[in-house]
Amino acid sequence: MTLYDTTMPDDKPADGQPAPAGLKPWGETKVVGTRAPRIDAYERVSGAAIYTQDISLPGMLHAAILRCPHPHANVRRMDLSKAKNMPGVRAILTHESPSADLPWFFGDKGPMSKLFDPHCRYEGDEVAAVAADSPHRAWDALKAITVEYEELPFVSEIEEAMKEGAPPVHEGGNRGRVRTSERGDIAKGFAEADVVLEETYRTSCELHTPMETHASVAQWDGSRLTVWDSTQGVFDVQKTLAQYFGLPSSSVRVIGHYMGGGFGSKLELGKYTVITALLARDTALPVKICLSREETFLCVGNRPANIMQLKAGVKNDGTISALHLVNVGSGGAYPAGSGVGYLVQDLYLCRNVKVEETNVFINAGTARAMRAPGFPQCAWALEQMMDALASKIGMDPVEFRLKNVPAYSQTRNNTPFTTTGLKECLTEGARVFGWKEAKATIRREGTIRRGVGVAAGMWGWEGSTVSTAIVKLFADGSANLNIGASDIGTGTKTVMAMVVAEELGVPLERIQVENADTATTSFAPSSGGSQTVVANSPAVRKAAVEVRTRLLELAAEELKCTVADLSLNDGAIQTLTAPARTVPLHELQSLAQREMLVGVGHRDPHPQGKIPLPFAAQFAEVEVNTRTGETRIVKFVAAHDSGRMMNRLTFENQVFGGIAMGIGFGTSERRILDAGQTGKMVNANWHDYKIPTAVDVPPEHTCISVDPHDTECNNTGTKGLGEPATIPTAAAIANAIFDATGIRVTQAPVTPMQLLALLAGQEKGGRQ
Amino acid sequence: MIPKIAYARPHSLKEAVKELSAPGTIAHAGGTDLLGCLRDGIVTPEKVISLSGLSDLKGIARTGDGGLRIGALTTLAEVADDHVINEQFTALAEAAASAASPQLRNQGTLGGNLCQRPRCWYFRGEFHCRRKGGEICFAMNGRNEFHCIFGGQNCFIVHPSDSAPALVALEARVRIANSRGTRTIPLDSFFVDPAKDVTRENILRPGEIITEILLPAPVTQMRSSYRKARARGAWDFALSGVAIGLRFNGKRVDQARIVLSGVAPIPWRAVETEQALAGKILDGETVARAAESAVRSAEPLSDNAYKIHLTQGIVHESLMALRPE
Repeated sequence: MTLYDTTMPDDKPADGQPAPAGLKPWGETKVVGTRAPRIDAYERVSGAAIYTQDISLPGMLHAAILRCPHPHANVRRMDLSKAKNMPGVRAILTHESPSADLPWFFGDKGPMSKLFDPHCRYEGDEVAAVAADSPHRAWDALKAITVEYEELPFVSEIEEAMKEGAPPVHEGGNRGRVRTSERGDIAKGFAEADVVLEETYRTSCELHTPMETHASVAQWDGSRLTVWDSTQGVFDVQKTLAQYFGLPSSSVRVIGHYMGGGFGSKLELGKYTVITALLARDTALPVKICLSREETFLCVGNRPANIMQLKAGVKNDGTISALHLVNVGSGGAYPAGSGVGYLVQDLYLCRNVKVEETNVFINAGTARAMRAPGFPQCAWALEQMMDALASKIGMDPVEFRLKNVPAYSQTRNNTPFTTTGLKECLTEGARVFGWKEAKATIRREGTIRRGVGVAAGMWGWEGSTVSTAIVKLFADGSANLNIGASDIGTGTKTVMAMVVAEELGVPLERIQVENADTATTSFAPSSGGSQTVVANSPAVRKAAVEVRTRLLELAAEELKCTVADLSLNDGAIQTLTAPARTVPLHELQSLAQREMLVGVGHRDPHPQGKIPLPFAAQFAEVEVNTRTGETRIVKFVAAHDSGRMMNRLTFENQVFGGIAMGIGFGTSERRILDAGQTGKMVNANWHDYKIPTAVDVPPEHTCISVDPHDTECNNTGTKGLGEPATIPTAAAIANAIFDATGIRVTQAPVTPMQLLALLAGQEKGGRQ
Repeated sequence: MIPKIAYARPHSLKEAVKELSAPGTIAHAGGTDLLGCLRDGIVTPEKVISLSGLSDLKGIARTGDGGLRIGALTTLAEVADDHVINEQFTALAEAAASAASPQLRNQGTLGGNLCQRPRCWYFRGEFHCRRKGGEICFAMNGRNEFHCIFGGQNCFIVHPSDSAPALVALEARVRIANSRGTRTIPLDSFFVDPAKDVTRENILRPGEIITEILLPAPVTQMRSSYRKARARGAWDFALSGVAIGLRFNGKRVDQARIVLSGVAPIPWRAVETEQALAGKILDGETVARAAESAVRSAEPLSDNAYKIHLTQGIVHESLMALRPE
């Protein structure tokens, strides 16, 4: 996926090519779009569902990892003698263990580190691992290992890391090359502008902290490796593990039936999984590892902190004439990417755009993709800037955005979008929110002030099209759906079963989903990048349609009529012509004789010459206590064009979850390093790292599906939802706080501490 | 991982204090703080002595003089829900209700809440700080957004309890038991200033526990409240909090107790403010001046000057809310 590469666009949109022939999206639906509870809700809620952390195998050992307590250090000497002789300790791995001498890769950058790198570049870097017969014994053994570290100078902050003479995290310095992309002529654009504004926006490092901590269980059977992994993509883990162990893919089985959240931090193979597999091989026993909560704060990814200088030019009529973004971010100690530029390049019409981005190394845990990587940061900058520009030219912020809605992607040769629901998101969201009335009447004076804000967003990737689904219809009329996709808590299994139910008329409770097992299910891309429904549901539909077609052919033959005379509803074949007959599937002889009908569906390519992407607009009302800096989000409306809404309940879950996460990013969450002193993270726990609680999300929130009836994107009419839901949230809140207080908070998160400090300064300096 | 420990559950106070007199022991009431401390290696006892068998230490009852006796093992949820406490000792009910989360309030006890260890992230984390016997206070030159603005010396923790300032404002006493018997002291003198001893937060010695909290009989024109500001809406300690107990004589304040939380290593009496309010009618000007006086002696660190404005703000807000109709 290349989100940040751009080419110079033509002035006119390219001509759209017709979509490939085949299935068109549904018109009316019976099952899809309803409020269907999760098909595995009982298992998940009751505790019956078996997650990776629940796996227990005969003779299984437990692993734990010793991690570097310093932000930057060399391992000089280690003494394992005491740990080795402790009861129950079965194996220890360090950088000196021949079997563990493996390179570690970061993206396409080549081997930049090792599985156990004696040069530790961040707190939490792997130093040793133990397998013992109980988790307690493994942890006790870690404590018994003595390590002599040579502590090295370290750097914890972006600006410090860029200074001349800063301690280098890697040879060659901390500053990566500047990646520039440009279209038009920004100098000309700024010259044409009536208003030019410039502001520096900052965001903090945010952590994924999924409910289920990262975990793996590894078991060898001869040269065949089976791994249960809490992952977002079993096939990705399988492929990388096969490479590490020099095995054919067919000998590596990765299973991830249930998993407790990832948000991107489980999109790649972790060192802990390789370590567990090595320990299992060395001991010839199954080995399990469950990372502690503290470990997940240090070494399984984060959303990088960014410093974004944004300059924008606008004409009095609302035309955006130039945008110039200079972004510096840090993905931590290894290359992980901290680019944010996409929204500046593609969300609004603008001919002259320049984006310059630099990644900087610091001595802290490496970033991983986190729910819409780069986008909430960029929205934080761009959407606050849009607000400021609107105010300067005296235009309503919604009107200003509406004036600049693109119908085509300016980063991709002006290729048209299949649909741009941004206009509907803005207008429908504003209507439901009561935007105009609120703007006109809200109380912005006194100690307790209210304000309203809007922000928009889009997601920049249309997803993979490599996906295959298999549907089996049994003779008793029940069905089995086989997909490789992980259900990372979003309701994937339920949504896919609904597609089968829609096509086959089989009730949901008679559909069983087999998923996320590389040995028994067919390929699906990882569940991330808002692609799960988009990549898989069209394949599922095709598989189900194949079964349906075959079934109706058989039924027509058996009932001596034509396929056109038959319909398939509620687990029965009905004739549409006289004599009216209803034949339950289990009474269909031709199906009974065959025992099973199997349909295979492959995902079609994306439409040629058009790009399907989702859009969003979110509206917030806040109440600020100007004496204390406390802010309450009192009302929130989210309007989303993600194409067809597959399930009202999972749609609401995604959107409300995205908003809650955006509230965390915007108001409370940040990694805090003890910069300049120890360099260690001081808030690596769920009390000091403040995720919003139930009382921090708005009491009143509404989500709207703006379905533009996209007939070209794919055969289910779907676009992504998981990421768009969290992109505009923080910026909408910041804009509402500005409306209430006149204070532009450029640093995320807007904690009461920060806001109060700014309010106190305002009191002295006068209202802006 | 919690290290290996021995465990005892005595059924009498006498047994309990005897067990706790032995070195390497620690008391276990609700356990909401203790379990975290054990897991993080903040305390390293060999034996944990459960108090859950001491049923006499539970419950809320009227005392002969019209006051209230609250057993140390009474949960925060029971305190927050109690009708009499809500009516007559409002600050305590509000403080108990504002602590932690519903799950923790169902488990955590009032006695434990007074004895909990500080939440300073250096004290709780892998930092050998002064309070743990080390040489330096990391907060002094480190990340000190949540640290104290009053009374910091050697160590810059804030006292984490919400109920403690409320109880001090209500002039509570605590009964302390040891192997020789019991004694009661004003809660105000229970806490230890880091200037005196940086390794402890209260005066309890080995073998001593709090058995009950005693509230004096309410006077007729008493009004009290607890206001807590925090970084998120629940499951969070105070950035700053204020417990106020006011005795009125008509519209005039007869006596004031103003006790701050979240800003000092002990529940912090704003004595100057108390004096400024005595004999006054709570008009806007008096309240503004009182709120200002509450923070006059504050000495902020690099990252916590906001606490001055915050404390002033909540004192102002709370006093205005307590004005008689």
